[in-house]
Amino acid sequence: MKTKRCGIQGFAAGLAALLIAGTVVADVDQAAAAGDLAEVSALAVEAKANLAAAALGGDVDAITEAGKRSDAVDAAVAAAQEAYSAMERAIAGGDQDAASTAFDDLKAAVQAARDAFSGVVPESIAKSAHDQWKESQTNTGGGPGRAGDAPNIYDVPWQSQGLRSFYQGLFGSFWSSSAFGGSRGFGERDATPE
Amino acid sequence: MNRNGFVLTAVAGAALFCAMPMAARADSAALEEAKTYVTRAEAAVSDARAAIENGKSALVRVPEDSPLMEDVKQMLESAAENWAVAVESLKGASESAAKVGTASSESVAKDYALLAKVNAGVAVSGSRVVQIALRYVEAVADNKTESLDIIRASMQDATAAASQVQFNYERVKTLIAEKYSK
Repeated sequence: MKTKRCGIQGFAAGLAALLIAGTVVADVDQAAAAGDLAEVSALAVEAKANLAAAALGGDVDAITEAGKRSDAVDAAVAAAQEAYSAMERAIAGGDQDAASTAFDDLKAAVQAARDAFSGVVPESIAKSAHDQWKESQTNTGGGPGRAGDAPNIYDVPWQSQGLRSFYQGLFGSFWSSSAFGGSRGFGERDATPE
Repeated sequence: MNRNGFVLTAVAGAALFCAMPMAARADSAALEEAKTYVTRAEAAVSDARAAIENGKSALVRVPEDSPLMEDVKQMLESAAENWAVAVESLKGASESAAKVGTASSESVAKDYALLAKVNAGVAVSGSRVVQIALRYVEAVADNKTESLDIIRASMQDATAAASQVQFNYERVKTLIAEKYSK
């Protein structure tokens, strides 16, 4: 009996120590997460202000650099907003694990925004918008536009040999039947009777 | 009291004794953080004030018959609105930061620090929008037409982002209020 009482008391002491030490996992702090969203949006405004200042200065390199940083911050803001939405959905669904994961993603996006503002720009954003578009194009058979675009029904594939031959044949028969073509055409005879 | 009871009481007492200075350290960290945000906001508002002074002299140089006069007017209106928001938010941030030091608990101190942070964010974003608007006026006054498109696009994006900052500030206020109304 004495052993059993000691065991129970020992267990109670251990549990008390655990609770007091705060090792119980707390719920995600939604207010703090909203505060982080406000912070990254404020960083986006500051990045735009720097871009405007660079534009006024007229230095092309400075404008390009400010533009890249601003784009990188915008990308981080989008990621942060997505993470916050995922966190809200997880909290509403009662999934604390998913909410914690989304909160961690939000923190990572906030850090990415701070890094981008300071000049650490991810390579994918450092490329120009045109380069990124070009790389994203799939093979459309050599024609213009993107794979998902609707076909241009007025577009004539002049570069195809079949069409060239068709039109050359048409022209050939037109020329032959004209006053200038075939046996009536310009030939060896004199232009005017002498 | 038997030996085991004594040990249990001693552990609980020691834990409470250690927790009290930890709470005090957390409060002072929150206070320092809040002060940092307020200092940053004060610097941004000061920059905006300087930009307004420069803008006044730039406006005089804009010809009255300039085709961009309508754009300049819109920029100035936007600057005026955002200046009012920035000044009001800086006041709010300072008040929230002052309450961190006198908060009744660590949790309340953290909430005031968070309010100071988001208020300061609104002040900073408002100030930067003012600066962008006045840079546009300066570009028109100095006939730097090649930069107008970039500044105009920056102004649109910055205004949208600033409204996001204000939206999240309202969200934080609501969430904190909900916590204390439960």
